Amino acid sequence: MRKILSASITSAFLATAQAEVDFVHQVVPILKEHCSECHSGAESKGGFSMNTRALFIDDETAVPGKSHESYFIDLIHDSDPDYQMPPGDYPRMPADQIAMLEMWVNEGMKWEEDFTFGTPTYEPPFLPRRPKLPTITGGTNHPLDRLIDEYLLLNDLEKMEPVDDSTFIRRVTLDLTGLLPGPDRVRSFCGDTSPGKRQALIDELLADDLAYTEHWLTFWNDLLRNDYTGTGFITGGRTQISEWLYQALKENKPFDTMVQELIAPADSASAGFINGIKWRGTVSAGQTLPVQFSQSLSQAFLGINMKCASCHDSFLDRWTLDDAYGLAAIYSDDPLELHRCDKPTGATAKANWIFPEIGNINPAAGKEERLSQLAGLMTHPENGRVPRTIVNRLWGQLMGRGMVHPLDAMQTEPWNEDLLDWIASDFQDNGYDLKHTLRLITTSAAYQSKSVPQEEINDAESYQFRGPHPKRLTAEQFVDAIWQITGNAPASYDAPVARGVIDPALIEQLSFESSWIWGPSARPGPPPHGEKILLRKNFSPNNKVRSAGIIAAADNAYVLYLNGQKILDGSQWNELDAAPVANSIKQENQLLIVAENRGAKPNAAGAFCAVRIEYEDNSDEIVMTDETWQVSQSVPPGSRPGKWNLDELTWTSSVSVNVPQWKSATDKRIGKTLARASAGSDRPVRASLLKADELMRALGRPNRDQIVTSRPSELTTLEAVNLATNGDLVANLKKGAEKLIRAFPAEKLVESIYLSTLSRYPAESEENFASGILGDSPDTATVTDLLWAITMTPEFLIVR
Amino acid sequence: MTLNIDPEAPDSIVRRDFLKKLSAASAAAWMSGSPQLVRGEGIARPEAKADACILLWMGGGMAAPETFDPKLYTPFKKGMKADSVLSTFPAIDTSVDNIKICAGMEKIAGVMDRGTLLRSVVQPDLGSILHSRHQYHWHTGYVPPQTVAAPHIGSWMAKVLGPNNEVMPSFINIGQRLEGVGEKEELKAFTTAGFFGSEYGPMNLPFPEEAASAVRPPESMTESRFSNRNKLFRQLVDRNPHRDFASDFQQESLMRSMENAYRLLSSKERDAFDIEREPKEVRKKYDTGRFGRGCLLARRLVENGARFVEVTTEYVPFLHWDTHANGHDTVDRLHKEIDEPVAQLILDLEERGILDRTLVIVASEFSRDAMMEGKPGSTANDQATHKVDQLTEMKHYGLHRHFTGGSSVMMFGGGVKKGHLYGATADERPLITVENPVTITDLHATIMSAMGISPKTEFTVEGRPFYVTKDGTGKPVTEIFA
Repeated sequence: MRKILSASITSAFLATAQAEVDFVHQVVPILKEHCSECHSGAESKGGFSMNTRALFIDDETAVPGKSHESYFIDLIHDSDPDYQMPPGDYPRMPADQIAMLEMWVNEGMKWEEDFTFGTPTYEPPFLPRRPKLPTITGGTNHPLDRLIDEYLLLNDLEKMEPVDDSTFIRRVTLDLTGLLPGPDRVRSFCGDTSPGKRQALIDELLADDLAYTEHWLTFWNDLLRNDYTGTGFITGGRTQISEWLYQALKENKPFDTMVQELIAPADSASAGFINGIKWRGTVSAGQTLPVQFSQSLSQAFLGINMKCASCHDSFLDRWTLDDAYGLAAIYSDDPLELHRCDKPTGATAKANWIFPEIGNINPAAGKEERLSQLAGLMTHPENGRVPRTIVNRLWGQLMGRGMVHPLDAMQTEPWNEDLLDWIASDFQDNGYDLKHTLRLITTSAAYQSKSVPQEEINDAESYQFRGPHPKRLTAEQFVDAIWQITGNAPASYDAPVARGVIDPALIEQLSFESSWIWGPSARPGPPPHGEKILLRKNFSPNNKVRSAGIIAAADNAYVLYLNGQKILDGSQWNELDAAPVANSIKQENQLLIVAENRGAKPNAAGAFCAVRIEYEDNSDEIVMTDETWQVSQSVPPGSRPGKWNLDELTWTSSVSVNVPQWKSATDKRIGKTLARASAGSDRPVRASLLKADELMRALGRPNRDQIVTSRPSELTTLEAVNLATNGDLVANLKKGAEKLIRAFPAEKLVESIYLSTLSRYPAESEENFASGILGDSPDTATVTDLLWAITMTPEFLIVR
Repeated sequence: MTLNIDPEAPDSIVRRDFLKKLSAASAAAWMSGSPQLVRGEGIARPEAKADACILLWMGGGMAAPETFDPKLYTPFKKGMKADSVLSTFPAIDTSVDNIKICAGMEKIAGVMDRGTLLRSVVQPDLGSILHSRHQYHWHTGYVPPQTVAAPHIGSWMAKVLGPNNEVMPSFINIGQRLEGVGEKEELKAFTTAGFFGSEYGPMNLPFPEEAASAVRPPESMTESRFSNRNKLFRQLVDRNPHRDFASDFQQESLMRSMENAYRLLSSKERDAFDIEREPKEVRKKYDTGRFGRGCLLARRLVENGARFVEVTTEYVPFLHWDTHANGHDTVDRLHKEIDEPVAQLILDLEERGILDRTLVIVASEFSRDAMMEGKPGSTANDQATHKVDQLTEMKHYGLHRHFTGGSSVMMFGGGVKKGHLYGATADERPLITVENPVTITDLHATIMSAMGISPKTEFTVEGRPFYVTKDGTGKPVTEIFA
C-alpha cells in the first residue's frame, strides 16, 4: 500500500496521491535544501556523500525499499539535537518532506542515471581566452584551419575533402545572402581560373548589403522574437524592432552596440526586445515582463536556459531562482517578489548580474541606470560569454551545428574549446564585427570542404567534427528561391522597413498635410455605420517613372487597388500602410479604394491615399485623395475589380472630410513613410519581409512568440501535401517555365534549369533524361512540372 | 549505474527512461534545443474507450443558461430589469427524464440519451477576460503566455496515438479562418503542434465545402498529369548523382513525407474530404451553414480514420457566440445552426456503429451571464456593450457578459454514460457551480483517458517535463464513464 500524502505538500511540485515519486522534481529539491550543504560536491561530513546513488546506499545509510531500515531516515526523525539530521542548529525538515523521502526510499530510490549532486565535469570559462595558434601542419595559414588541422590530427580523423566550385557557390550564396546564385554567376565562377576567386566571391556577397540584411533578418527575428504580426500586438502589448534591426544589419552595426541598444534602448525603436510580450489579464509569475526579460536575454545572448530557474532552482544546471530574479529585478519598475512555482516566497529580488567576476549592478540605481549597467557588463571586454554565444550561433548557421551544441546550452563543452575561444576573442578584437567573423569562417578550408551527413543521434559527448553538415533550406530560402526561379516576387511587403537609402531632405520635402475624403453622406455627416463606398481616380505619369510609392489609411477599413491589382488594405485609422508601386504604374492608371465605415452607430469616416511618382528627370508628382476623386455609393461584389463594370455605377464627387485625430496620427509620419515606400528598391521583395503565411509556417517558420534558435531539419507530410496541391506554386512555376522557354533554345533548356535551381550543370544521364522528357519543342506544362519535380528533390531542399 | 525500478511492481511507471541513454555531459545538451524525446512511454496507458475524437467548438463563449443549463425563463418585456434575466429561452424536455435543455435545441434534446452532460466546468480567473487566452487554455491545457509553444490537444493525440488510418492526417481543424479575422495571431498561437513540430500540427480546412481541393491536384492539373509529375520526381531522385551527401535520415525524411503526401492524394480516402459525395438528403440535414457542413465533413473524416477533428462555429470577435449585444436573437440563430447537425452527427455515427468508439464533445471557452463578468471575486472589467439596468430594446436582451464560474460541456459516445448528468450550477445568480466542479485540467484528463492517453504523459522540451495535462496533475472524472 502506498502512503497517501496530505494535500499540504509544499515542495517544488505537488504530488497527486497516486503518483510515483518524481526524483528530479520532488526529491532533489528536498535533499538540496536540507542535506547538500554538507553531503554533496566536495563535502562529505561524517563520511557521507550523496553525490551518487551508490554512495547514498553505501553502509546502509539508505536501504532501497525499506525506509524504516534506512539510517538517514532515522536520523531525520531523531529528536536528540546531538544526533539528528539536519543538525540541531538547522531548521527541522517538515513532516510532508520526510514523508516524501520515505515514499521515495520505499519505492526503491529511483535515481536518474548519471545524475549527481557532485560538481559537473565541465564548467565553461567566462573570461575571454586567446589560445595560441598551433604551428602550420596542413599547409594553410588560415587560423581556423590551423586549429582544426591540429584537432583532426589529435583525434586521428581524416583530413576533409575540398568541395567543388558549384557546390561551394550555392552553399556560400545561400548561407550569406539566402539566395540562389544566378545561373550566369555560376557559369562565370566555375569558369574562373584565378586562385583568389572564392575569397572574391565571399567579399562580393558580404558587400551586397541588401541581400545580406534581408537574409540575416530571419536569423535575428527568430533570435529576438521580432515579427510583423503575432500575439500581443492586438492589445498594444508588444512593439517591433524591425526598422532598427534592418538598419543595424544594413550598416553592419557592431554586435556590442546592438546588444547595448537592445538592453538599454535609447528610444522606442529597439525597445521591443526587453519589453517582451504583455498579455491582457493576469499572467503566471514565470511570465511577467521582468521574468520574460530575464529569460530572453539569458537565452539570446548568454546561451542560458533561465526558464527552469525562473520557476525554481534549476535541477540541471547551476542557475537558481535568485539568479533568474536578480536579472529580472534589473528590468522591474517595482520591487519584485520572488515566486517559486508561481507561489510567492516573501523574499524580494535584488537586481543582480550573474557573472560577478567582472562587476555588478547597483541595485539602488534607477531602472534606466541599471539597464545601462547591464548593457555595460554584457559588452564588457572581459565578458567572454556573450561573444562565445554569438559566434557559436554564426558557426551553427554556416556549418549546420554549433561548436557548442545545442546553441542555447552554452554550459556544454564545445568539441574544440580553443577554436571557439579563438573565434570569440578574434570577434571581440575586431570590434564585434559580424561580417568579419562570417568572412573568417567561410574563407576557411573547413567551411569549404565536403559536407558530412548529420546523424540522428548527435550528442555532445560523442560528436566529432569531420566537416560541415547539410542544412535544410529555411522557409524563407525556399520561397525566395521559387521567386528567383520564376521572377515572380510580390510587389509589396509587410516589414515596416526602408529597403532603399533615404535622403533626410526627401523626408522633409514629402512631409505634407493629409487630405481625407468620403462620400456624400459625410456632408453634413456622420456617415451611417456599415456604409461601404468605392472611390476612384485616374492618372497618367507625365514622364519616365524611376520610382513610386503609395501610402494609405482609412477610418475604419479599406482595400486599395491599382490597375486592378490589390496593393494595400488596412483597418487601423491611425496606421499608415505603404508599398512601392513603381512596377505597377502604366501609361493610364486607375486607383480604386473600397472603404467601409464600421461601428454600432453613425460615426466619422474617411479615406486617405497618396501616390508619389519620381521621374527619371528628378522631378516628382503627388496624387492624393481630394474632391477630384469620384465616389460610388454602391460597391460591386467580390474582390476582383477587373470583373467589375464600373461604368454601370453612379459616380459623384467625393467630399473632403478632415478629422483632427486622423491628421495628428498620420501627418507626422507621411514624409518618412512615403519616402520609404518610394525609395523602395528595384530588387525583388524577400520572404523575410513578409508576414508568415500558411506555406512558410508549414515549412518551419516559427510563430515568434518564443525565441526559437533552430529551425526543423525535416520535411513533414502536411508540408508535402501543401507543396503537391499548392496551385499558387504551380502558377508561379508556370511563369518561370514561360520565362525559361523564351530565354533559351530547347537544347540549352535543361542546362539552364539545372543551373538556376541546383546551381550546377546536369550530369549526362540527367541531361539525357530531362531532354527526353522535354522533347524538341518543350511545352510550358512539361517545363513547369520539371521545375516542380526538381524543387522537390532533396538536393534542392538541402544546402549541401 | 542503473535505475532501480521494479518491473514487477503493480502499475509501475517507468519514467524518464530516455535519461538512461544520457550521459552526464549530455544532460546539459538535453537542456535545450535538441529534438524532443518521448517520455513516459512506459507509463501505463489507460485502456482506450475511443479511437477518435470530434470537438464541436462553440467559439466565443456559449452561454450555458441559453443552451444546456436552462434557468428561470424571463421573456422580454420593455423596461424589465437587467438582473431579472437568467435565461432568455424556455426549458424543454429531453429524451432523458431529469435533463432539460433550452428551446431551440429540440433535435439535440432527442439524442440526450446518448451522452453525458457536464454542467459544472469551471475556468480560472485570469483577470481581464480575453477570449483567445481562455481558448488557448482550453485547447492546450496551459494558460498563455508560456515559455515554450504548447501543443494543441489534437497534436497530443496525433503525437501519442498517430492516425487511425496511416493515410489520413491525424489532426484536422475545420471552420476556423486564421487570416482576415480579429485575434488571428492569438488563434494561431494555439492552433499548432507547438514544440512537437508541424508534423503533428493541424490540417486547416476553414471552408468545409472547399476541403476536397486541399487533397486534389492543383487547380487546372489533370489526374494523369499529376501522377506523371510525381513519377518524374521519383525518376529525377533516382538519377541524382549527389544522393550520398545528406544523411540517410534527413534524405529519407524528405522522401517519406513526399511519399506520404502522394499516398493521401492518390488514395480513396481523399474522397472523405468531399462532402458533395453525400446524398442530397443527407447534405440537407447538415446544411445549416459552415458549421453544419463541417459536422458532415468531420463524420466522413472520422469514418476514414482521422484521429482528432475539431469543427468550430468559428471565433470572430463580436460574432457568433461572442454575444456582447443582441444575445437572444444571435443565440436563436445559433440554435438553428447547431441543433440538427450535432444531433444528426450523433445519429449517423450510431447508425454506422462507431459512436461507441468516437468521443464527441460540445464545448466553449466559458459561459455567459446577463450581469456578472468573470466570477464572484473576479477583478475582470465589464465588457458588455450596453451597460443598462433596464432593458428597453431587444438588443439588450440576452447574456452579454463573460462568465467563468460554471459552464456546460456535452459528451457523446467514446465510453461515456448514456443519458447521464454530472455536476450542477446554482439556480439563482451567481450561477456558479455548486456540485462536482470540473477544471479544464481534469476535463482534459477525462478526454485524454478516454482516448487511452495517461494524463501524466510527458515530453521533454528544453529540459523541462511538459505534460499532457498541466504539470501531470489532471484527474479524470471517472464517474462519467460507463
